[in-house]
Amino acid sequence: MSNLSLALTFSLVLIALGLSYKEKLGLEKDMLIGSLRAVVQLTFIGFILKFVFNLDNIIFTSLILIIMVYNASTVAAKRGAGIEQALLISFASILSGLVITLGGLLAFGAITYQPSQVIPISGMVVGNSMVATSLLFKTLLNHFQTKREEVEVKLCLGATSKEASRSLIRDSIKTAMLPTFDSMKTLGIVQLPGIKGG
Amino acid sequence: MNILECSSIQLIKNEQTILNNISFTVKKGDSVGIMGPSGSGKSSLFRLLNLLMSPSTGEILYRDKNLQEYTPTQLRRSIGYILQKPYLFGTTVQENLMYPYQLSGKKPDFTEINSYLEQVKLAKNILEKKNTALSGGEQQRIALIRSLLIRPEIILLDEVTAALDEENTLLIEELIAHEQRQHNVTLLFITHNAQQAKRLAQRLLYLEAGSIGYLGPASDFFKDKGDHHE
Repeated sequence: MSNLSLALTFSLVLIALGLSYKEKLGLEKDMLIGSLRAVVQLTFIGFILKFVFNLDNIIFTSLILIIMVYNASTVAAKRGAGIEQALLISFASILSGLVITLGGLLAFGAITYQPSQVIPISGMVVGNSMVATSLLFKTLLNHFQTKREEVEVKLCLGATSKEASRSLIRDSIKTAMLPTFDSMKTLGIVQLPGIKGG
Repeated sequence: MNILECSSIQLIKNEQTILNNISFTVKKGDSVGIMGPSGSGKSSLFRLLNLLMSPSTGEILYRDKNLQEYTPTQLRRSIGYILQKPYLFGTTVQENLMYPYQLSGKKPDFTEINSYLEQVKLAKNILEKKNTALSGGEQQRIALIRSLLIRPEIILLDEVTAALDEENTLLIEELIAHEQRQHNVTLLFITHNAQQAKRLAQRLLYLEAGSIGYLGPASDFFKDKGDHHE
């Protein structure tokens, strides 16, 4: 790919920016920051991954995984602004998801703890967990605002805070899992060719 | 026996005094009307009694024990709080009337439910109806039954008939009066309706700018002041 092609590809982002501005979506800042971060991250990650893959060191590989989890947690925690300890909650959730999945795959002998195997799989797990956590935070905040009366009425009836918010939490989890389920449904036809192509 | 005792209650919120030096006692089975202009602290008093807020100073005793010593869950099952705007959750009436049984882990008692429905002139098949299909009066009656199914010892009613017509108001008053006779329930109710206070209250607490303006027999209050405190 030539440098000109690369520059022209960026015009796609400009189209999206233009649409966001025209429709007053207010997404321009997020879009610009997201695109710039993607460019910077992709440029550097190539060098870093090459170094880590060649090094094949357990500590370095684990360190990369922790950085990935922390980075995803900070992004998810921003969607939970107003929730106490949002960063800690998202870090613990994403990390536990990764430990369980990776632990299972390693224990069953499906993969070995090599950077070339562990890092790509962790990327997918952490990415999905981040989307789910972000969506969960956003939906929870929205539900607790719009359904405040329901929670108050249930508390007045003597429900515990967990009982009073159970239906809200359940709905939020269902919404948060939707992208993951949709990805699973199209794994063979959309996701896998996409990943392989990439 | 005093079931409720408030001693020198003060509530300060955002550096503003909402309630000041409130002291009164309530005996089991009493019916206390609470009146006063908007913003005089009536609903805040109820929120304190239901542990939705805590007083800045002073103490509230329920059965000779400080409210703070009870868990909110334990207390709210003994002191029921019913709000002015009825809120029915879920989709159907049945979901709402099953909720108290779910909380207590008991089997739903349809005889009990049907008896309440009959008292407030609602048909049994209302259980299958959607919440959105109910009128304001029907919703308030269902919300009240839902709270009574918890079997509270004290009921706090916050202007529950304010938005209702006379027919619905009287139906709700009858249900409350019946509950008092049947289960010796203690009643505290906020109202702007002097006629309602005359019908239901034995004693009256009148709040003015967060302080007690009158506390005593309801009949004496209306004898002295007439009906102009609506």
